[in-house]
Amino acid sequence: MSTATVQHPAPTETDDFDPRAEGQRLIKDWYAQLETANARNAAVANVFVMGNAVEILRAFDFELVFPEINSLQTGVRKASEEYIRLSEDYGMSPDVCSYVKADVGLILKENEHPAGRIPKASLAVASNMCGTFIKWAEIWERWLKTPTFVLDLPGQRAAGWQVRPGDAQHAADARWVEAQFQELIVQCERITGKRFDMDKLAEVEARVNKMVDHWNNVMALNRQCPAPFNAMLDGLTYIGIMNVHRGTEEGVEFMRRLEEHLKAKVGRGEGRVAEERFRLLFSGTPCYVSMRRLVELFETWGGVFAYSDYLTFAAGGMDATDLRYDTSRPLESLAEVTALAAQRGLSNQFFAHERLAQQIKDYAVDGVVFHGIKSCRFVSSGMADTREFINKRLDVPTLYIESDLIDPRYWSDAQIKNRVDAFFEALHQRGGGAPLARKTVATA
Amino acid sequence: MYVAGIDIGSTYSKAILIDGERKVVGQAVRRTGFKLNQASEGVFEELLKNAGVAREDVTYVAATGYGRHTVAFRHTQVTELTAHAHAAAHLFPDTRTLLDIGGQDIKAVRIDGDGRVRAFRLNDKCAAGTGAFLEKTARYLGLTTADIGPYALRATKPVEVSSVCAVFAESEVINHLANGVPAEDIMMGAMVALGGRAVQLMRRVGLEAGYMLTGGMTHNAAMIKALEDNLKGKFNIAPNGLGQLNGAMGAALLGLRRAEKLLAEGKPIPPTAANLGTSDAPTRKRWSAMAGGCVKTR
Repeated sequence: MSTATVQHPAPTETDDFDPRAEGQRLIKDWYAQLETANARNAAVANVFVMGNAVEILRAFDFELVFPEINSLQTGVRKASEEYIRLSEDYGMSPDVCSYVKADVGLILKENEHPAGRIPKASLAVASNMCGTFIKWAEIWERWLKTPTFVLDLPGQRAAGWQVRPGDAQHAADARWVEAQFQELIVQCERITGKRFDMDKLAEVEARVNKMVDHWNNVMALNRQCPAPFNAMLDGLTYIGIMNVHRGTEEGVEFMRRLEEHLKAKVGRGEGRVAEERFRLLFSGTPCYVSMRRLVELFETWGGVFAYSDYLTFAAGGMDATDLRYDTSRPLESLAEVTALAAQRGLSNQFFAHERLAQQIKDYAVDGVVFHGIKSCRFVSSGMADTREFINKRLDVPTLYIESDLIDPRYWSDAQIKNRVDAFFEALHQRGGGAPLARKTVATA
Repeated sequence: MYVAGIDIGSTYSKAILIDGERKVVGQAVRRTGFKLNQASEGVFEELLKNAGVAREDVTYVAATGYGRHTVAFRHTQVTELTAHAHAAAHLFPDTRTLLDIGGQDIKAVRIDGDGRVRAFRLNDKCAAGTGAFLEKTARYLGLTTADIGPYALRATKPVEVSSVCAVFAESEVINHLANGVPAEDIMMGAMVALGGRAVQLMRRVGLEAGYMLTGGMTHNAAMIKALEDNLKGKFNIAPNGLGQLNGAMGAALLGLRRAEKLLAEGKPIPPTAANLGTSDAPTRKRWSAMAGGCVKTR
């Protein structure tokens, strides 16, 4: 392991908001709240990060468990291998998604998680955003008798075709999704014994809108040189809050203060690293178990992840200005946004090259790093084509590394370090490597 | 002035000494083993002995390879991709696509006329595309690494060794032996399989004529044949056994360039990593300096 240290600018005295500490506090509080949920007889729902109808569940005061986040947290806390091995001992194949295996390990450990005890859910909401979600929910259904509601969200139907907001297909998709929401509402009423309150849904959505506005501004701030945050370290904390606190007052406040904090940083000309030399884009899903180490390998060379498509992919459909709720018609609008976000999520590999080309331009990116996931071919299989496009058509250098979401057995430090070092040497030879303070970047 | 390039690979450690005219004055190769710091010290001692040069007469040491950070007496380090590309451009200026088959990895590098890396690919973590795969097969057939080339050239009907996994390939070898297949046909089959994977990797960086082969496989005539048959082209190979020392050569050349620049500017040669009290990663600044101080302004 490297002992090289990366210099980070010291926080200034006038800015007392520490996004990392505040993010950790909010996550800790969330787990503490979950720990007592069953004792308080609170309704609890298992939901996934994508396609989850969280706004409806919040309107019924469900407390939310994100099994994907539970699993990644075992990785962050360096405990994932224990959970994964438990599930493999039970009989799960090494090829199965490591998030699922960590969750199965959690069940086998009777819900004892490093962050606290995870409550038993009264409902699980899954969707076809990932085929594994449905099989995963079936495990809860069979083992824990958790009632499951599966949303069918329309995705890609033809090559080269995308749903556009407001077109006839989008309207039809939204009606299809809305009808399913109506069914979900009936089920929520039955589980919680509460009547559905449309005004409350609108209130949740209004808070989500505020978060989206701040989020878009936060993302745009990283177009500045130097970038005020590292998308693959700081950014992961931010989207954690975007998901866990989606539609809460705490979530709005965090994002508001975050934007303020980052704006001030930009104003002072402070970057994530003392000397930003290469601006990078990270494409794919993180290796949560070694993310700090990975970022260190890049920052040692002055490379900062100015953008990551993961912050779009995993932000629960809260990443674009056209994904904003019309609170005057909350349910219809929720269906429209969900249908659109799902379509983009499901189709993202078909159009990844277009999306990345734009982001490379917007964020003045010098190189793109693809991270393939050993236990998730769904998010990794299109990378080879996208990489080819970026290399050959855009002449932007790329690097492909592979490990896993949270399985530390797939992390090979020497191999990854060698690739990263060679990547930077090649970037340098292309004429990169200058401090970027004077680089001109379009700002939002 | 003498400059040394030390390449600490996963299987072999290689060292080369060049003079100020870029002429090779000594070389050494030895097994790396599991004590990497001893490997670098050992290969360096051997190099000095072979060249008849005293340690204090070596002005600059540049390290490369997986174990580059363990060379305590290095002045700088560079990855083997950059080192190979630099040496390739020096030895064969028309090189555009370079293939290096190492003990535990395989690299395809596309370079430009100035020896700059334009694109590179390394094999994934599986050992089926590496020298270790051939060594494993040879060991099973009771052959030494030095034997396998001439032995495989006797093959009349190479068999297919199709597995993408080095460990599973061993089962195929056992199966072929059980079926009475001559060992030379099995050995050549393994080389054809490895050659196929290696050329595929070259295609992924974009095959551009001007091919160069480096690494220990440059001693293996059968492997060269398997690769060239698949490529339908010829490889340039460094003369006098230098193919295996290409990475060390590249490091030495880069080191010499740096030393010349420092001396021309009247600056002292910086302390070695050991004197800096670190045996680990470079600072960004050090690399910029090594590359000629060419921190460019966009």
